[in-house]
Amino acid sequence: MLRATLLQIGQVLTVLLLAPLLQGAIVQFEERVQQAQGPGLLQPYRDLWKLFHKQIVIPDTASWIYWAAPFVAFTAMLTVPILIPVLTDFPLPLSDMGDILGGGLILTLGSFMIVLAGLDSGSAYGGIGSSRAVMLGILAEPALIVVFVGITLLAKSMLPFVVNHLLVAEPAVYWSPAHLFLITAFFALLLAETDRLPIHSSTHIEVYMIEEARILEYSGPLLALLKWASMMKQFILYVIFSNVLLLPWGLSRKGEALDVLGSVAALAVKFLIVALAVVFAETAQSRLRFYRYQELLAASFVFGVLAIIGTQLS
Amino acid sequence: MLAAHLDPLVSSVFSLMAIASLVLAFVMLGSRWLNNYLYAFAAESWMIATLSAAVGYYGGYPELYLIAILTALFRGLFLPYLVWRIIRRLNVAREIHEILQPSSALVVGAFCVIFALAVSYKVGSSLGLAGTVAVLALTVMLSMKLIGFLMLAVRHEALSQILGLLVLENGIFLGAQILVPGMPLFIEIVILFDLLIVVACFGVLVQYLVAHVGSTSSLELKRLVG
Repeated sequence: MLRATLLQIGQVLTVLLLAPLLQGAIVQFEERVQQAQGPGLLQPYRDLWKLFHKQIVIPDTASWIYWAAPFVAFTAMLTVPILIPVLTDFPLPLSDMGDILGGGLILTLGSFMIVLAGLDSGSAYGGIGSSRAVMLGILAEPALIVVFVGITLLAKSMLPFVVNHLLVAEPAVYWSPAHLFLITAFFALLLAETDRLPIHSSTHIEVYMIEEARILEYSGPLLALLKWASMMKQFILYVIFSNVLLLPWGLSRKGEALDVLGSVAALAVKFLIVALAVVFAETAQSRLRFYRYQELLAASFVFGVLAIIGTQLS
Repeated sequence: MLAAHLDPLVSSVFSLMAIASLVLAFVMLGSRWLNNYLYAFAAESWMIATLSAAVGYYGGYPELYLIAILTALFRGLFLPYLVWRIIRRLNVAREIHEILQPSSALVVGAFCVIFALAVSYKVGSSLGLAGTVAVLALTVMLSMKLIGFLMLAVRHEALSQILGLLVLENGIFLGAQILVPGMPLFIEIVILFDLLIVVACFGVLVQYLVAHVGSTSSLELKRLVG
């Protein structure tokens, strides 16, 4: 019991501490692909350190929502790792709090609070960012729900652990069209949700700003919390993509110390593969116009529907 | 029936190829550029040719190899070449006025697939084929037909309409390969030559449109003449 609890804490700490490293790795790879030097793998840590030592400046119009949003977003991202297989392939204490839909709900809660905070300060940019983020959410949610339904039909369960076990145990299911389409659909969603091209929202150019516009009024430690939360969201989505769907192998079976270290190493390898795919997608594509965002997400929706069809036939 | 008793691995290979051609039909539905339709159509035809060769190999129908070669040559090379020649002569690179945006068309197409699944479920369970690759073949066939109709309905460049018709026909052909692989060779050859005539007729029609209406968009055909 004690070991299980420690493992659970370890899962949360893994997400908390390694999320900036993932962000740094992706940025570094992208710079390298473009034959630039790059800021280095550890730059996100340095950024967070710098922001935590700065002063907080608060707009006059801000209400309590402005204060609450970073903490809610950060806490939500600390909660989700409890529900998903980060290090072990068996459920740990409290991981029965929610299934896939529950995890999705908590992920969205953080983003919902940031939307409110963007509107709260009353600045024009915050309003634009929030409205665009909600628009993107409206387009992405149906595809996400269809993917969840597909996963559920594939594994006859809504728990990520069951999906993981099924895919490891049966290669026929792993290579079935339904599963391959789920991977494709989720990859498109992953690009959209983690601010990668073709919808790259975390730039400082006003025309494209989505993520940045919502948190434009924040400064200092609060901004650091928000940035950290978004890196953790990216890490969590990568965990779900690689440990549940794409590469379900290499998780700790018994939960012993050496096992767990091995699964951290496996996680690094898996993330390297996924990050290289993402870097390729970012390099190969150009940014979509705002009014063409739905094309990517409609494609993801179609793949989700095809996956559901595939599950009905196997 | 071949489809009812197949090795699981073989039936999953068949279903992968069938679904891949359905995906290519979606690529055609979701793109704006006429050239991209054409490439997707050619790829789809090659996929179907591979499928019929695979059915021939696993089902023991040697005449299907001939069909596969003919399909690859006619549908995969010759028909796209003819359509490509028409496109090159016309200077029309893309759909200009869309009736339905590509992304909306994709979503409508997805609903067509769901409808096709429901229908083929009914058919499959009444024939006692539920859970076999036959249901998948029926689904892919019906949904490719519906997507072909959708392309005919929402696109108005004459060339996209030719390709819509060809997708529709490809769907029927694909379904036939899996459901009734022993279909007599001559019928298949006749269908292939029919397609040639269809494309040739469309070529003449397009020339007529350009000469008399001044554009290849069917939206311009408003006046009823008798």
